[in-house]
Amino acid sequence: MTALDGIAYGFGVALQPGVLIYCLLGVTLGTFIGVLPGIGAMAAISLLLPITFYIAPEAALIMLAGVYYGAQYGGAVASILLRLPGTPQSAVTTLDGYPLARQGKAGVALFVSMVSSFIGSVLGIIVLVVLAGWLSRAATAFGAADYAAMMILGLVAASTIGSDRPMKGFAMVVLGLILGCVGTDVNSGAQRFTFGQTELLDGINLVALAMGLFGVAEVVGNIRDAERQGVPEKVRFSQMMPTREDLLRMPLPMLRGSTLGAFFGALPGTGSTLSSFLSYAMEQRVSRHPERFGKGAIEGIAAPEAANNAASITAFVPTLTLGIPGDPIMALMLGALVIHGVQPGPLMLDARPEMFWGLVVSFGIGNLLLLILNLPLIGIWVSMLRIPFRYLYPAILIFVCLGVYSVRESGFDIVVVAVVGIAGYLMALAKFSPALLLLGFVLGPLIETNLRRALLISRGDPIVFLERPIACGFVIGTLVLILLTIWQSWRRRARARQVA
Amino acid sequence: MQRDWPDIWGGAVLAVTGLCVAIWSGLRLDFGTLRAMGPGFFPTVLGVALAMLGVAVAVPALRRGAEPVPVRLGDLAAVIASILIFGLGMEWLGMVPACFIAVLTASVPAPCKGWLWRLVLAVAVTAVTFVVFELGLQMGLPVWPGQ
Repeated sequence: MTALDGIAYGFGVALQPGVLIYCLLGVTLGTFIGVLPGIGAMAAISLLLPITFYIAPEAALIMLAGVYYGAQYGGAVASILLRLPGTPQSAVTTLDGYPLARQGKAGVALFVSMVSSFIGSVLGIIVLVVLAGWLSRAATAFGAADYAAMMILGLVAASTIGSDRPMKGFAMVVLGLILGCVGTDVNSGAQRFTFGQTELLDGINLVALAMGLFGVAEVVGNIRDAERQGVPEKVRFSQMMPTREDLLRMPLPMLRGSTLGAFFGALPGTGSTLSSFLSYAMEQRVSRHPERFGKGAIEGIAAPEAANNAASITAFVPTLTLGIPGDPIMALMLGALVIHGVQPGPLMLDARPEMFWGLVVSFGIGNLLLLILNLPLIGIWVSMLRIPFRYLYPAILIFVCLGVYSVRESGFDIVVVAVVGIAGYLMALAKFSPALLLLGFVLGPLIETNLRRALLISRGDPIVFLERPIACGFVIGTLVLILLTIWQSWRRRARARQVA
Repeated sequence: MQRDWPDIWGGAVLAVTGLCVAIWSGLRLDFGTLRAMGPGFFPTVLGVALAMLGVAVAVPALRRGAEPVPVRLGDLAAVIASILIFGLGMEWLGMVPACFIAVLTASVPAPCKGWLWRLVLAVAVTAVTFVVFELGLQMGLPVWPGQ
């Protein structure tokens, strides 16, 4: 199927009323979640996972994806108006968005962020279509060793890049891998860490784990902090029109940001938060007036907002074509697909074209909906920020319970949520990343299966990882990353000693 | 400034967990060979790796200072209690009473005085839950006690 045929086919899927309504629901919920500081896309997607069991898989994926990129739009609202990032990806938008709001130009800042988000998404979609077609053809040459090596590279990249304590990241990934072992071993039928609980035979429930780690932990952490936020001023559509000068300053940063975001989003393990920070740094470097940054530069909003949206779209490239989630949110999406009996991978484009092309077209429709709805409705989103968190979180907890319970009507899973919730809160306090744990949890069984298969084929000779060119490339990449991390921490320590 | 307790404790807990995982799977599961890995191979190796990483996190933290982090055990307790009351009480109490009590419990640590708003909130959330999940999605859960 060529890309044009595919897109035409995708329109047929995405424009079905039953699918379109879930796309609209997803982007609206995503914006809502993004606007509210304290609940991220991760928690929102875990909350919605149980609902997806009742709808068609393509509608489910389209809705969950809508939550993800919709949250990128909404995240900027609280960043600009309150200097509180609605999502981690929009943290960098506070740097110039809040000063603009203080100068009475909050509407313009919101306009720039919405338009940049849209442009970033459009570029992301183009890159997704081109890369996915190419990668899924290349990936048919992948063997078990290549998959295992690539997933290990992804995990190492996720725990080291942009982290100031890589050891803690590694530890969380390994803990996630161990939790992924729980249940019946596929190859031998042996029970691992089930301790006689029949509920654990299929492993720990992904929905319960994700809700405990993100839903519960985020609620506890925000009960007091979210109340202290200020009250935003009203923003009207008429105040959003930028001046001619503002408009002229937008296109280049948007293009640079989208390109950078599209690139980093497609790499496994990096993701949209990193790309928004990198694009801000890049804008500051190429700007002729770097002193304007941090005081309300339009470029400082346009570039990172375009970057994080482009990245959130291209993050689907490794997830859909290789079956390997690039970031924890994609890990949740992958988990949702597997629950629906869809195995993402190089064969998915041919075997389940309605999933892939439907999703691609829904990205376009969803982003257009976001732009059309959000510009006039901005006032409503801003007023959402006035709802005190104390009215919201008890309801969130009830939805968590009903969601987890509805998956298989098991009280055991509720206990899992409670236990994981306690652990997740303490982990967030001590800055151990629960997102990396989830990534390890989802990738663990995949890595183990491929590792065992690769070594069975090679008769136990680990040299197979160096003989196959693809696997060897990933192994070298992993080693380079580890050496780079060691060198960085050594340099940091040396610099600290110089200061002291 | 005090010692970096979060990293010390976190590293220690991870090290002990890793050790337990490695010992348990080493004793109870077949390790196999590199060619034909048994079910114990992966967990044992991971357990040892986690134990080493835990030590690597905890030991450098012993000589490092850090800002103390506020631990809100009361908030945590209220939230966990609310989950258990609703999640486990649903079948026994029925959805409506379990939801009402769970919302009241969850709202205890909210930084706002007074009981009236808490009662109103509990009624409102219970009503929404009933309408959405019972009338809308027809989940078929027991609504009142003894059903």
